[in-house]
Amino acid sequence: MRRTDKYRFWFVLAGLVLLHFSVRSRLGDDRIAPDFLLLALLMYTIRAAPGPSAGAGFSVGIIRDALTPASFGANALAHTLVGYISSWSKAVFFAENLFVNGCIFFGGTWIRNLVVSLASGELKGQTLVWELLVWSPLQSLMTALVGVLVLIVLGRWLSVRFTDA
Amino acid sequence: MTIEADRYGSRADTLVFLGCLALSIVAMTVPDSIRRPFSQALRQTILAPLLALQEETATLKTSQAHVDEITAQRDSAMLAATFLPELRSENARLRSLLGLGQRLQTGYVPAEVLHESGPTDPLTFLVSAGRTDGVKTLDPVVSPEGLVGVVSAVDEQTSVVATWAHPEFRAAAMAADGSVYGIVAPHGSEGPGIWLLELQGVPYRSVVPDSALIVSSGLGGVIPRGIPIGTVMGQGVDNEHWERTYLLRPAVHPASVTHVMILTGTTRGGGNLRELFQDEGKSP
Repeated sequence: MRRTDKYRFWFVLAGLVLLHFSVRSRLGDDRIAPDFLLLALLMYTIRAAPGPSAGAGFSVGIIRDALTPASFGANALAHTLVGYISSWSKAVFFAENLFVNGCIFFGGTWIRNLVVSLASGELKGQTLVWELLVWSPLQSLMTALVGVLVLIVLGRWLSVRFTDA
Repeated sequence: MTIEADRYGSRADTLVFLGCLALSIVAMTVPDSIRRPFSQALRQTILAPLLALQEETATLKTSQAHVDEITAQRDSAMLAATFLPELRSENARLRSLLGLGQRLQTGYVPAEVLHESGPTDPLTFLVSAGRTDGVKTLDPVVSPEGLVGVVSAVDEQTSVVATWAHPEFRAAAMAADGSVYGIVAPHGSEGPGIWLLELQGVPYRSVVPDSALIVSSGLGGVIPRGIPIGTVMGQGVDNEHWERTYLLRPAVHPASVTHVMILTGTTRGGGNLRELFQDEGKSP
């Protein structure tokens, strides 16, 4: 790995954060638009150890809580869990595979939404069912598709080595 | 870039994870008096540039929608401006029709022309007056400029008008000064002269000067005397033996007519309507 690869990695993550605050609002319904911020976190966690991943998740979560004060803390909890689990699961699977990464993006987004929905206590009954069975899977799918696209296009910058599943 | 991904995590990782979990739970339980200033501080520091970016994007999105709206309004205005001369022309035509109506006083039915988008529309067209309005077959149809045609069929609410361009149209005509008589018919059914009339059967010894006005002569009792039909453009090329044929520029083109008057009975002019059409040529 060259030293410049490290900067490229952070450059991609910063780009995803910027996309989240600029492009996302133009990608249609908020409920299904890809979550670039979470994608940046997952990109980081699949490369990092579980501890820093949990810390990064907590940081991202607390920032999101500042944007949605009604459920303060729920995002921090959810992103901490997702950060740790994704990093840990990546270590378990230890395969730098496009499909595995796509599954992590999909599962990470859905679990994040699940934890936020339950922890915030804002969604109940049929609304919760719709959120978990319709909107969350759609958003997870979109996020996973964008994540896979980023890995395909910028895979070298992220130092992800793809192998056959 | 390995970043220690290929291990399950050390005790330190677990401690960090548990610490973050604990902090998250604390964040969920702290009262509003603490979480609000904290959130506000984050929004005004770390998130400030990102929120500014988001705001710019939203503004841009709104501006784009605004531009689209303005573009749509501009297009509508341009479309309206496109039809403005036509509306002015129609307005002027209606005014002149109103003037003709005042001069005729009685014996006419105003009607709107119901144009169809077909190539044969100028030959015959529908008008919005029918039997219930007193319209009868062979009633003359005029506009302020002159003769348009005659009614060929009458329904309850509408009528079919055969214009002078119809191949079967014929009208007894004369020069406005009464010096020459003849029969007016369409010049042809094809070629550039299709929208011209011709004055047939003029005696060879009689000469009609160019630009002379040709009006209906009233012979036959169908079309009253004195309705402008056209002006002479010159002699036709197919003169036969002892008679002359003259090409006429029609007083009115059927395709340009939007409103007409159907002469249903005796008008103020009685047998001669010439003086009622004195404004011919001044109208658009």
